[in-house]
Amino acid sequence: MLTRGTLIYIAKRVVLLAFTVFLVSSVVFFAVHSLPGNALISARLHGAALQQQLHQFGLDRPIMVQYWSFISNAVRGNFGVSYVIQGLPITPLVIRELSVSCELGGAALIITIGLGVSVGVIAAVRHNTWVDYILTSLAVLGYTVPSFVIATLFYLVFGVWLATLTNGGFSYPLTWTGTYGTLAELSVPAFAIGLFTSGQVARITRAAMLDVLQQDYVRTARAKGVREWAVIIRHALRNALVPVVSILGPLIATIITGVVVIENIFSIPGLGKEFIESILNHDYNITVAVFALLAALIGVANLGVDLVYAAVDPRIRY
Amino acid sequence: MTSRKPDLGGAAVAQRRPPLAVWALSLLAVAAAACGTSGSGNSSGSTAVASKQVLHFPIYADPQTMDPALGDQEIESELSENVFDNLWLFDKTLNIVPDIATAVPTQANGGISSDGLTYTVHLNPKATFNNGDKVTSADVLYSWNRAVAYAGAYSTNLAAIAGFADVQKAASGMTDAQIETQLSAKNTAFAMSGLTAVNSETVQIKLANPCGWCLAAWTLEGTTGAVVDQKVVSQDPASWWHTPGQMVGTGAYKLTAYTPKESMVFKLVPNWWGTAAGLAKPAVSEIDIDIHDPSAAEKDIAAWEQGSYDIFGYGGYSGLLTVADILRIQRTASEKSELLTVDKGRTTWLSFNVGYPATGGPFVGETAAAKGLRLAFDLAIDKQGLAKTVCGNVTCSPATGGLITKGLTGYLGDNQDPLAKFDPTQAKQLLKEYDPTGQLTANLKYSYNAGSPNDQVATYLAEQWKANLGVTVTLNADPDASDFIKNRLAGGYVMSRDGWQFDYNSPQDWYDNLWGAAVLSAGANTSGFDDPQYDSILAQADQLPTTQALPLYNQLAKMLSDDAVYIPLYYSVGNFLIHSYVKGAGSNTAFDYYWDQISLLSH
Repeated sequence: MLTRGTLIYIAKRVVLLAFTVFLVSSVVFFAVHSLPGNALISARLHGAALQQQLHQFGLDRPIMVQYWSFISNAVRGNFGVSYVIQGLPITPLVIRELSVSCELGGAALIITIGLGVSVGVIAAVRHNTWVDYILTSLAVLGYTVPSFVIATLFYLVFGVWLATLTNGGFSYPLTWTGTYGTLAELSVPAFAIGLFTSGQVARITRAAMLDVLQQDYVRTARAKGVREWAVIIRHALRNALVPVVSILGPLIATIITGVVVIENIFSIPGLGKEFIESILNHDYNITVAVFALLAALIGVANLGVDLVYAAVDPRIRY
Repeated sequence: MTSRKPDLGGAAVAQRRPPLAVWALSLLAVAAAACGTSGSGNSSGSTAVASKQVLHFPIYADPQTMDPALGDQEIESELSENVFDNLWLFDKTLNIVPDIATAVPTQANGGISSDGLTYTVHLNPKATFNNGDKVTSADVLYSWNRAVAYAGAYSTNLAAIAGFADVQKAASGMTDAQIETQLSAKNTAFAMSGLTAVNSETVQIKLANPCGWCLAAWTLEGTTGAVVDQKVVSQDPASWWHTPGQMVGTGAYKLTAYTPKESMVFKLVPNWWGTAAGLAKPAVSEIDIDIHDPSAAEKDIAAWEQGSYDIFGYGGYSGLLTVADILRIQRTASEKSELLTVDKGRTTWLSFNVGYPATGGPFVGETAAAKGLRLAFDLAIDKQGLAKTVCGNVTCSPATGGLITKGLTGYLGDNQDPLAKFDPTQAKQLLKEYDPTGQLTANLKYSYNAGSPNDQVATYLAEQWKANLGVTVTLNADPDASDFIKNRLAGGYVMSRDGWQFDYNSPQDWYDNLWGAAVLSAGANTSGFDDPQYDSILAQADQLPTTQALPLYNQLAKMLSDDAVYIPLYYSVGNFLIHSYVKGAGSNTAFDYYWDQISLLSH
């Protein structure tokens, strides 16, 4: 149930978020327009013909006029048109790409939490056993090896070596089908991101569980004859999750940055791939739109985490 | 101190498999679920036609536009040549053959007047757009006038037609939408005076001057010579070309789905009016194209080997196969025969600053010292070694036959370019003679756009100059290609990477666009080379039929080499991976073969 205080808190955060997005957009707009060269120059298009094209797209206007034009359209949800795919409206493009990135990021988040919490709980429950040592070592390995290294390794092992070993009969598909790919195509990039972040979750979950498992109320539950799985899941894990939730904000930011790299490695048509392409191609409007959406995404994710945090920890009230 | 509670977790763990293992197994299971690709299909011995005629290949950029009035890039023409038709087309050996027109005009068939100024073109009465609209001479007039008014990169292909300059002047500073309004209103200022309709099936083209190269330029697919449907274009000038259903041409295929930055789908036009060379009718019913970033090329080569793609390298991306890939494929028995290697009509050379005093450097001008130093820097480069070191002799070959690439009209012949020589002794003597103190050649820079193979080429050149002349040249790599091109065309570099990919098979395409007074005034002459004699011969050659003009064009080639305006580096070689079951697919110096000539065999 949302209290009045919570609603006010959300409203404040939304205003702050809007201001942040505006600020990011403005900085990026001026930055990309100050880059040398532009999207339309080629060996063939130059001189008067180039001027004609610059005029067509309004790129021959003063920078402040272009900025005002962009901002006034952007607040209405219109990011303009692409200069590279000439005349293509950008908004549907970046929204679609955002949804692809959300799919990949969401899958990675599920793996992060699912795998990280599972490993953390088992390591804690099997504290100081070989199981604990192995899982803790894997977790440390997970968060010390960057996701792009894991991705490249997976690509090599599942996509290339497996294909070679089985003479092409059994391997991870190196293509991406349609907008959202298939579950098989999604699995490897999602794991590549998720393994990295799940290492951190596992470490924190283990520490929190070790702490909680020694609390009096856990001992009381056991003394009352509550089944062990119920003690761990219902009594211990719920409280151990509070610190896990607290790191979700930074983790989501890590996942989003991971998505940028992983999408480029696996040619996934999301916002992360666009992030790089639009900069390299001088597709100014897309670059600004991508930055704005990524800023908004991180802001919204953090707001969501803060609200979840309040839900799982009764001590927090807005 | 830690406490052990084996009675707590032990049972729980014993009853469950560790989740990590579950996840790992799931990963394998999911990967396994992805299986089913049936290998590369290399050994297709079948001659039976596959029941599913869907061609699948990747490309590495969206077309900037497939509007023929504005098309500029190779990817655009490679795709749109299958959707739009010109009046004529190039066959596989680059001969001009009829397309929408019923014949190739000649003086013998009455298509060209005796003074060479008037062309009469009869349209094929069967020709229709893919929306069913019949092609008339009004469509040709609209398409060509529009292309001139839009002033795209290839609008000058129509420059010889009377009234060209007037239309460009009238449309100057107008947006596309404004131009469409004028064209719809039939404003005569937007109609070239030399382009008229005799009747609904006959077009007359009057030239301001005789033009030997025009027919080839008008035939260039995917650009200004292509015929578009005014009814469709004028309704939505900005979006028509990327909207399935609105991209209306007369070609065998039409765009049925386009997800920008992701994929394109083209389908065969039912009851297409034309004929496909070598086939009774087009066999491939659908073309599925994935759009990837070039960084995905390696992955896609592996995907081709997995059997996910039928072709790799189409769409203008035959340069993405690396030397290592090609050598590996050449060593793989099952794939070796599926590698197609073709000269791709692109030459790369080094341009000296010859004509821009403001930019400076020791190479400016026609003095003996400037020429001698240019020649010294040229002779110091081992071109054979360059092709071997940088390209492994598989992605390029040494440019020894002049600037015009092997396989094209105007190619001088192997080892016929004196600048292709490697003579470090003479190079050293020239340097000693013209720069005895080393002052003139100190602080030299070689500029280029960063990336492969330009980085490797630059390093090789610097090493050669150091080893053979003792001169240290700094490498100036611009990470931004468009910035580099802008500066290069403006004559901003003392020494820079330069190159050209031919558009149509005429020497005019090279000598008109790269050197001389016209491009100098247009701000597109990298070296700044100009000579009244060059301009005079060029003007004379451009008016003659290519066969008669060739000796004159060869004189221009000699002038450029005598002046040591450039250092010839290499000719690009395209490499394609085409599974053996893809019959009729291939490429020549100019373009990938038309999709309507391809059929897929059972595999």
